Amino acid sequence: MTRAVVNGGPSAVRRRGAGNAVLGLAGLCGFLALVEALPRLGFVSPDHLPPSTDIAAALVDEMSDAAFWTALGDTLTGWALGLFIAITAGITTGMVISIVPYLREATASTVEFLRPIPSVALIPLAVLLFGTGLRSTLLLVVYAAFWQVLVQVLYGVQDTDPVAEETARSYGLGTWARIRHVLWPTALPYVMTGVRLAAAVSLVLAITAELVIGTPGLGARIAVAQTSHAVPDMYALVAVTGLVGVLINAGARAVERRSLAWHQSVRGEVTP
Amino acid sequence: MRRLPAGLVAVALLAVAATACGSSSSGSSGKSSDGVTTVRVGVIPIVDVAPIYLGEKKGFYKERGLDLTLETSQGGAAIVPGVVSGQFQFGFSNTTSLMVARSRNVPVRAVANGVASTGKAGADFGGVVVKGDSPVKSPKDLAGKKVAVNTLKNIGDTSVRESVRKAGGDPKSVEFVELPFDQMPAALDAGQVDAAWVVEPSLSVAREQGARVVASNFVDVSPDLTIALYFTSDKLAQQDPDLVKKFAEATRASLAYAAGHPDEVRDILATYTKIPEKTVQALTLPRWPEEPDRASLERLGELGRQDGLFDEAPDLDALLP
Repeated sequence: MTRAVVNGGPSAVRRRGAGNAVLGLAGLCGFLALVEALPRLGFVSPDHLPPSTDIAAALVDEMSDAAFWTALGDTLTGWALGLFIAITAGITTGMVISIVPYLREATASTVEFLRPIPSVALIPLAVLLFGTGLRSTLLLVVYAAFWQVLVQVLYGVQDTDPVAEETARSYGLGTWARIRHVLWPTALPYVMTGVRLAAAVSLVLAITAELVIGTPGLGARIAVAQTSHAVPDMYALVAVTGLVGVLINAGARAVERRSLAWHQSVRGEVTP
Repeated sequence: MRRLPAGLVAVALLAVAATACGSSSSGSSGKSSDGVTTVRVGVIPIVDVAPIYLGEKKGFYKERGLDLTLETSQGGAAIVPGVVSGQFQFGFSNTTSLMVARSRNVPVRAVANGVASTGKAGADFGGVVVKGDSPVKSPKDLAGKKVAVNTLKNIGDTSVRESVRKAGGDPKSVEFVELPFDQMPAALDAGQVDAAWVVEPSLSVAREQGARVVASNFVDVSPDLTIALYFTSDKLAQQDPDLVKKFAEATRASLAYAAGHPDEVRDILATYTKIPEKTVQALTLPRWPEEPDRASLERLGELGRQDGLFDEAPDLDALLP
């Protein structure tokens, strides 16, 4: 009730949504105009930052090239596979650590030690183990995304209402039933936050791996454009990675909203 | 309580196994029933490796029963471990890097020539450039200046020091900084460095932006400097000398063909690089002799020793084919 009143009702929410979209679009247009103006007015050399119209032309060129779509596919494969492995491993590991007595305390320092190690530092290891193939990308992606999910699962499970937990126990619910009906619903909002963060981090690491190691994908294509001094092409590809990031984030938010439709944070207060 | 964690652990282990295992499966070369061997070669997508792309297109490898897969990587740093671990059967690397690897007992050896300097001062495919209005007029003036090279303690700083030394300057006073080739024209333009050692296509780009060549550092080391080589691991060389021989023959044929067909070289560049057309036509191509130049390598090894890259000049008999 209160929330609906503050927002001025559902139609106001819709209007505000439309207003946000217009504002967002205006912001984007402003940014594009800035990139167009800076080189044209001589603030930066167009050799180093071409105007946005040149970048757009290069983007159209790229899109007519089959190799571009293959590269995009390679990047998305590395991203999706890595994210999937990280989520599966993160959730299972997190649940096991939370459920098995004393395991959380025993692993806490190790987790805190491993978590801040940047994935990029593992590049030499990845190359040594897997060369310049997809598995090198996966190693970096999984390592970066895994901790995002794991830590959220740990926090999520810790947030379980002790009364609900005790009630479940006193009703004789088994481990599986307690996970299913008590731990999992409590942890899910945290897990979804972890998944959303992991989805973004995975893309960053997939592109980084391609850029630095040369595994096939958009990143490797950016690197080739860079070494070839095809400056507009390079910026066009960079823009594509940004675009993919926006889509991935929008997708992750949609998944989050759907899977948490029942949760307070998404559904809000019930309006009469 | 007991059953579930076991299941979860199994899933987690499977996930880890999916990422960690199978590293041996794709590594080794596969021989199919019709006698065609799949060969993976680690290369850097630059002008220097045009002959192998051209040779593959011309069928020089196929006619010897080699099915070539060229895997591009962003630098020798990924290629040498790739070859040693068997991910690649062959790789492309600059000569100094191979000497350094050999001096640290990394089991690699050259199998075919890679690329060589044009030997013409002022018209090589690599050189030291300064801004058009720079006070630096000769390599001697580089003393005390900040010079960009793509990798420190490698062929770039070693050869630039030799240019300064030969011109009568103090090579020790040159300050080297590390920058990727493609960023050097911009860094030079912005005054972040006083000079930059660049190779094609960055050399043409820098010149187009008004930069001036003050030293042909490769030529100053030796008139026919062998700059890079194709190499393999000692292990493969012992296990499959026949494969190595075939690859070396096909590469030799490719180098000869590329040397004789510069127009086709420029055409093939468009297939694996994105160098703009006008730069492709303007750039100086390197030379692709069939054999490495031993005298130049002895000189390069000696310079590397002087600069402290390795303690003693490398044993060329162990390194060269």
